Amino acid sequence: MSDIPLERGAIGVSTRRVGTRLPARVIVALICWLVIAIMAWPLVMSFLASFKPEAEVAAVPPDYLPHSFSLQSYLKVYGYQAGLPTYLFNSFMVAFLTIVFCLVLAVPAGYGLARFHVPFKEVLFLVLLASMMIPYQALLTPLFLMFTKLGLTNNHVGLAIIHTILQLPFSVYVMRNAFEGIPRELEEAAIVDGCSPLQILGRIFMPLAMPGMVTVSLFAFIMSWNEFLAALIFMSKETAFTLPVLLTGVIDSFYGSVSWGPLQAGVVVSVIPCIAIYFLLQRYYVSGFLSGAVK
Amino acid sequence: MRVLNARRVGAAVLATATAAFMTGTVFAQEMTMWVRDGTAANAGKVLVDLWNESRPDNRIELTVIPNLQMVTKLATSIAAGEPPDLISLDLIYMPDFMKADSLVDISDEAAENPNFDKVIDAYKDISSYEGRTYGTGFAPDVSVIAWNKDLFREAGLDPEKPPRTIYEIHEMAKKIAALGDDTYGFYFAGSCPGCNIFVTSPLMVAGGAKILPRDGEDTALEGEAVKEVLQVYRDMWTEGLVPESAETDNGANFVSGFTNGNVGIAGTGGFVIPLMESDFPDLDYGVALLPGLEEGQVSGFVGGDTIAIPRGSKNEELAREFINWVLTDEAQLEGLAKNGILPVRADLATDNKYFADQPKVQVTAEALKVGYVPWVFHFADMVNSDASPWINMLQRAVFDGEIDEAIEEARERMIEIAGE
Repeated sequence: MSDIPLERGAIGVSTRRVGTRLPARVIVALICWLVIAIMAWPLVMSFLASFKPEAEVAAVPPDYLPHSFSLQSYLKVYGYQAGLPTYLFNSFMVAFLTIVFCLVLAVPAGYGLARFHVPFKEVLFLVLLASMMIPYQALLTPLFLMFTKLGLTNNHVGLAIIHTILQLPFSVYVMRNAFEGIPRELEEAAIVDGCSPLQILGRIFMPLAMPGMVTVSLFAFIMSWNEFLAALIFMSKETAFTLPVLLTGVIDSFYGSVSWGPLQAGVVVSVIPCIAIYFLLQRYYVSGFLSGAVK
Repeated sequence: MRVLNARRVGAAVLATATAAFMTGTVFAQEMTMWVRDGTAANAGKVLVDLWNESRPDNRIELTVIPNLQMVTKLATSIAAGEPPDLISLDLIYMPDFMKADSLVDISDEAAENPNFDKVIDAYKDISSYEGRTYGTGFAPDVSVIAWNKDLFREAGLDPEKPPRTIYEIHEMAKKIAALGDDTYGFYFAGSCPGCNIFVTSPLMVAGGAKILPRDGEDTALEGEAVKEVLQVYRDMWTEGLVPESAETDNGANFVSGFTNGNVGIAGTGGFVIPLMESDFPDLDYGVALLPGLEEGQVSGFVGGDTIAIPRGSKNEELAREFINWVLTDEAQLEGLAKNGILPVRADLATDNKYFADQPKVQVTAEALKVGYVPWVFHFADMVNSDASPWINMLQRAVFDGEIDEAIEEARERMIEIAGE
C-alpha cells in the first residue's frame, strides 16, 4: 500500500514529499470508511437483529449485539401464508417480465426519438416525461377497472405491464440519451455499407448502447422488486402476491404496531437479490449512468 | 421474403407462448374471502379451515390483506365489479360501506336466524343502517388496560389491584417511574390516531363523554372527561412518566411499549393475551377494564371485524350460508373459543368451557359487553388519518399543553367533517 503514493508522485500528480501526503491519504481513507460505515450500519444492524428472538429485538433501548441466536424471525417470514418461495417466484417472474417489456418498448422508442425526424419530437418527449409526474396512485383505480375487463388481474403479465407503464418514461429517457451519445459517423458508415435502419439498430447501436440497456434493466428490476401498491391492488390471491406484500403483511401486528423480528429478516431476504444483481452488473451500471442518464 | 417469413413465424411463436403463459397463470375460481391482518386473520383461518374440512365442494379461499390497504383494495374491487365473495372488515368502516350501497342486505337471514340476535350489541349496531342488516360480528377485539405486576410489586403497589380511575393511573405511574431512569409509569403511542381512539377514548367515554358526531348537527367531544383525561396525560408527560419516544410513535411500538417490560401501565387490546403467551411468557401482567373519572366507571372500544358480502359477489347464496354458519355453536366454540379467540355471541363469550380457567380472556369478554363503538361516517377523516382532528387534539393538548384550544379546534373540524 505504502508504495502507491510514491508512484503517483513519480508520475507528477504531486511534487510534495511522501511524508506530507500520508496524513491526507489517511484522512481521505477515514472519511471513506466513515461514509461506508454510515451507509452499511442500518444493514448490519438489520442483519444482526434478524437473528434475535422476538422479545430481544423489540427491546427499547435496543442492544446492538444479539445475546442469543434464533431463527424464529426467518421461520416466520418463510412460513407466512403461501410461503416465501411462492412470493419470491412471483417477484422474480414479474421483475423479469418488466425488464423484457421495458427493453422491447424503450429501445425502439429511444432509437426513434434520438435518430429520426419525428414531427413535434420534443413535445412528444416532454409529454412522455410529464407522465412521470402524475402520482400513479391516482391511476390505479381506472387501470384496475380496465385490467379486470381484460382479464389481466391476478396475473404476472398484468402486473408486469403496470410496472412497465410506471418505468417506461424513465427507460425511454435513458435509451434516448444512450443512442444520442453514439457518434453519427458510425451510423453514416453503416448506411454506406447498406444497412437498413433496423439493421443499424441491431448491429451497431444496441451493442454500443449496452450500458444504457443494462441501466434500464437494473432500474426496472429494482422498481418492480420493491413496488407494493399495484402489486397489492392487482393481485387478490395469496398465491399471486409479490414479496413487498408479504413483507407488509408479516411485519404488520396490531393497530399499526410492527413485529420487528420478521421485519429485519424480511429486509435481509429482500435485499439479497438487489445486492446480487448490482454486483453482477456493477461495471455496466456505472458506465451506463455516464452514457445514459448524465448528459 | 425468407427473412420476413422467419420473422412472422417468430412473432407467432412469441404470441402463442405469451398467451399460453397468461392462461397458465390465471387461477382457478372458487369462493373467495378477504380478511385483514391481525386478530381477524387468525379467526378467519380457523373458521375457514373448519368450514372447508366438512364442505370439500364449497371451499373458501382465504386471502389476508395488509391492514392499512384493506379499504382501498376493497373499494377498488367493488367498483370494478370483482370483489371477493365474503369480506371481513374493520367494523368501523361499516357505516361508510353501507351508505355507499356496497354491501348485500342480509336482513332476511338476520330475521330468520335467532343467532343473529345473540351477537354482542356493538356488532349488531354497527352492522345496521336505516333498519336493514348488512353484516354481523366476526372477530371481536376490545381495548383493556394492562399493568405490569412485577413493577407494581417493586413500587410497593398491590399487584392484584389495577387502577380504578384515571387519577389512580397517574398516582401509580408516578410510583413506578420513580423506580429508575429506564422505568416508566405509563405508555401511549402519541402519533397513532387509531391506537388512541382504541385505548384513550374509552377513558373519556367511561367518564361520561361523547366523542364523535354522527352528523353535522350533532355534538362532539362533549363532557368534562375529555378535558380531564387530556390533563392527566399532559401531567404524566411533563412529569416524565411517559417515555419520550411516545411523542413520535406512530403505532410501531404501540404493543411493544408495554411488552418490553419497563412500562407500568398501558392501554392495549385483547389481542395482547395470545401474543404475550407466545412471545413474552415471562412477563407477569394483568388486564382490566379501562376506567373513567370515578370508581365503577368502565368502558372499552369494541373493535375487530364484521363479516359482510360485498355487492357483486358471485356466490351470494353460499356466502349467506357461511355467515349463518359462523354464528352456530360449532363455529363459535370449536372454531373461535377453542383457539383462544373471543366468540361474537354474547351468550357464549364468557360462558364456555374453553375460557373457564382464563381470567384474562374473561375480562376482555366482559369489556366487549360494556364497550362502545362509534356509529359514524367518515371515521377515517375524523380519527384514523394522520392529520385527523382527533390526533391533532391529542398531540396539541398533551405535548403543547393547549388543552382547551385543542378540544375546541377538534370539535369544530369533526362536526364539519361529519356534515359532509
